[in-house]
Amino acid sequence: MAIVEFNNVTRVYKTGEHELRALDGVSFTLEQGKFVVILGPSGAGKSTLLNLLGGLDSPTSGTIKVNGHDISKLSDNELADYRASTVGFVFQFYNLISTLTVYENVALVSEIAKDALPAERMLEEVGLSDHSGNFPSELSGGEQQRVSIARALAKNPQILLCDEPTGALDSETGVMVLKLLLSMAKNYGKTIVIVTHNQSIARMADVVLRVKNGRIMSVAEQPEPLSADEVEW
Amino acid sequence: MLIRKLFRTAWQYKAQFISMLIMITLGMGIFLGFNMEWATIERDTSRFFEETGYADYRLYSDSGFTEEEAEAAANIKGVERASRFLTVNLDIKSDSAKSLALDVTEDISVSGFMVTEGEPYDAQGEGIWLSDKFAEVNNISIGDELTLEYKAAEIKGRVVGLVKSAEHMICLADANQLMPDYSTYGYAYISPAKLKQALGFEFYPQLNIISSLEKDELEEQIRAALGRTIMVSPKTDHVVYKEANGEADEGKTMGAILPVIFLAIAILTMVTTMHRIATNEKLQIGTLKALGFKNRRILAHYTSYGLVIGLIGCAIGVALGYGVCYLIMNPNGMMGTYFDMPYWDMTMPSFCIPVLIGTVLLLTAISYLSVRRQLRGTAADALRPYTPRLMSSRMVGTAHGSFGTRWNLRDIRRHKSRSAMTLIGIIGCMVLLVGGLGMRDTMAGFLDLLDNRISNYSTKVNLNEDADREAAFALADELEGDWVSQQGVSLDGETVVLEIYDNSRDLVRVVDENNDHIALSDEGVYLCQRLKDRAAVGEDITFSPYDSDEEYTVKVVGYARSVMTECIIMTRACAERLGIDYGVSSVFTDIEKEDVTSSEIISGTQSHRQLMDTFASFTEIMDTMVFILCIAAIILGVVVLYNLGVMSYIERSRELATLKVLGFRSRSIGKLLITQNLWLTVIGVVIGLPAGVAVLHWLIKALASEYELKLMLGPATYLISVLLTFGVSLVVGLMVARKNKKIDMVEALKGAE
Repeated sequence: MAIVEFNNVTRVYKTGEHELRALDGVSFTLEQGKFVVILGPSGAGKSTLLNLLGGLDSPTSGTIKVNGHDISKLSDNELADYRASTVGFVFQFYNLISTLTVYENVALVSEIAKDALPAERMLEEVGLSDHSGNFPSELSGGEQQRVSIARALAKNPQILLCDEPTGALDSETGVMVLKLLLSMAKNYGKTIVIVTHNQSIARMADVVLRVKNGRIMSVAEQPEPLSADEVEW
Repeated sequence: MLIRKLFRTAWQYKAQFISMLIMITLGMGIFLGFNMEWATIERDTSRFFEETGYADYRLYSDSGFTEEEAEAAANIKGVERASRFLTVNLDIKSDSAKSLALDVTEDISVSGFMVTEGEPYDAQGEGIWLSDKFAEVNNISIGDELTLEYKAAEIKGRVVGLVKSAEHMICLADANQLMPDYSTYGYAYISPAKLKQALGFEFYPQLNIISSLEKDELEEQIRAALGRTIMVSPKTDHVVYKEANGEADEGKTMGAILPVIFLAIAILTMVTTMHRIATNEKLQIGTLKALGFKNRRILAHYTSYGLVIGLIGCAIGVALGYGVCYLIMNPNGMMGTYFDMPYWDMTMPSFCIPVLIGTVLLLTAISYLSVRRQLRGTAADALRPYTPRLMSSRMVGTAHGSFGTRWNLRDIRRHKSRSAMTLIGIIGCMVLLVGGLGMRDTMAGFLDLLDNRISNYSTKVNLNEDADREAAFALADELEGDWVSQQGVSLDGETVVLEIYDNSRDLVRVVDENNDHIALSDEGVYLCQRLKDRAAVGEDITFSPYDSDEEYTVKVVGYARSVMTECIIMTRACAERLGIDYGVSSVFTDIEKEDVTSSEIISGTQSHRQLMDTFASFTEIMDTMVFILCIAAIILGVVVLYNLGVMSYIERSRELATLKVLGFRSRSIGKLLITQNLWLTVIGVVIGLPAGVAVLHWLIKALASEYELKLMLGPATYLISVLLTFGVSLVVGLMVARKNKKIDMVEALKGAE
């Protein structure tokens, strides 16, 4: 069953007299529970695609349906509610709230998400229970990204959106974080969309979308994706 | 190229640059304005005093001075000039509501005047030289005939000149009047020849002297030259000099504290803002360094921001200072209703120039130091983005409350200087509001005291100085009135007023420091608040009346609040027991002004309402000052809070964007920002309220030499001050929070923390 439907989506950025077509008539669908990787070089439009799907931005034209609901024309507040209930984000640079402790960063989402999962449980699952009283700046990069994953999943979203989640980590930590991300997404039955330019990650995906110059170049299904341990990093 | 960058960076940080400019302009403008005010008073009045021969000493004698005595006084070594002088209050025949102080001076270079229009002075002339301000207000022109009533005689003459005299620079009918009212009272001069012609004889009860001798020395020399003891009153006891000096001192006090606080806040704002800008510019600074620009050049570039702000701010500040000073010191301005003088040339005290230069240098140094911090280390260090102070477990603080509460509490602790500056801005706003509105309450209370608690009469009847005492008693009985006798006495070498009351009919009252009525005791005297330190209750004081060798020692039985004069108060019974020779100065009656039959001993009448009306312009001045202070408070609050709010918003934009991405609505995020502002406002108000009252206390103390004010703060003042401060905080919070809607989540989340 399709959880995401992009239909002829275009996103144009205007700067003075210049126009930049970041996405140009993009159409595709994504099935629920799949691990999707969006691959492409810098400036291809992959982050724009993720931002539109995450409700951080709205398309210039076309429709985006999530669970059959069109999110392309939602108001600011409706988009905020959509982000609070349907999607979870994991960023390259973690974006944790520096003045809140690890526990508070995760528990924070319970103020907006209706079906939030307990912060203690999420921290236990990412192996950071012992650090719940620390501030993000007291943790390593890998640990901070684990908190970020715990926070994203604590909202109990249907889709987990990750923008270069291992981009700021060394390869060893990156693999560890990816493993955790995938296992947790699987345990909780989430659809994962990862934006990356790392070809190795793509080999683990169920579906790979290749993006170039604002267009989808290919949508490839991988019936037998590799596990993280099988991938050569 | 870097010059172009300077302008573009200034545009990029326009809110901060404009805030800094406004604060420096306001701080400097108010500082200069207040200090120029007193310097202008000092210089312009001195010039006026000198050019019209304002007397250094006034000698009084009920029996008058002879020509020989005047000559003998003039011949004393150290006495420059001496002139027999007469000043007497007269009614204008055609309109009894108007009266004039008629002056005659034998030597026009002593206590004389300057002609602003018409004929020059002629010692043999027949005309009248009239106060130009009185003439203007009452539509009297040169050539008009005036008839003045002096006892049984009439002095009739044509107005030949319009004049200004330093002797009447502050033209008050009597000690109970606070502000001049030229519609009812002015002054005029006639020549000695004209006086002699009108009266048929010469009578000068005053001898005015210009001399550099000390008072004691002059007193001694006069005794030797005239062969009798005469009370010498220095110019510091004369109402004009005393008030002008008082105004200048008041200006000095005001100029020393309030504007300095304002200027200090402006400089602190500059420190915080420049530091923030330099921090935000860290990457740019690193880029320039990496490109090969030397530290010196980068420093010069960023330091020029402070220099430019300092130069522009101080230049506009100087203009504003002149504006503020002009508002107070011009013929139609606030002081113009009080002083009648020909010179209104604004002057800047010499110390203001070093302050101006010092401020520009200080602002330049602030920029220099802010940027130097960012240049420390290698180019790579400079290229690393700014990281706010890292949080550590020690900073957890409370684990209670909502996440917003914790977030805000920790943010305040993390950014202490920003929070402290916000607090200072709020406290400053509160202090100015409480100080300004409280001053108005205090003055209103003072007028209420005069209007309702002290004055219970309808009409005040002023008697001639030489009115017969028995006749005055008879008049008081006829008018069913109370009376007061006022005469100058020397207490510890200082001239104060001895007030003797008969207030058995409760038409005029004396109050204590709590403004409660005192039933005057016959057992001793009451000292006014200003003389409180002279003797404790139960102790004796000794005073000596003018024109007398007598000394009286009497017990102090209490303290009273005097509305105008620095005085010793006693009852008629007490005065008679001591054997003091006194005359009645004024009778207070419930009979309406129009119904008081004229008498030889009456020099003028004033209705209670008329007297209170003379305070109207005084109240107007007070309202303008309060208005300026309130506007300054609001500008201070808005500028400081907005500037810091925007800086804080920029610093937290990443976190705010994260909250937005997580699904928080703009309104919830706005609430977070406003809540922090409101918390700081609560703390600021809690500190600012007592601080405002303390400043008010201090102001009242500074004014104590002129008025015996009782600090009064109405509930409305508290309410308005608190509401306005919260209003400012809320409005600024909303202005900053509005920016939430425009947060670009994608942009804000790019790049490393």
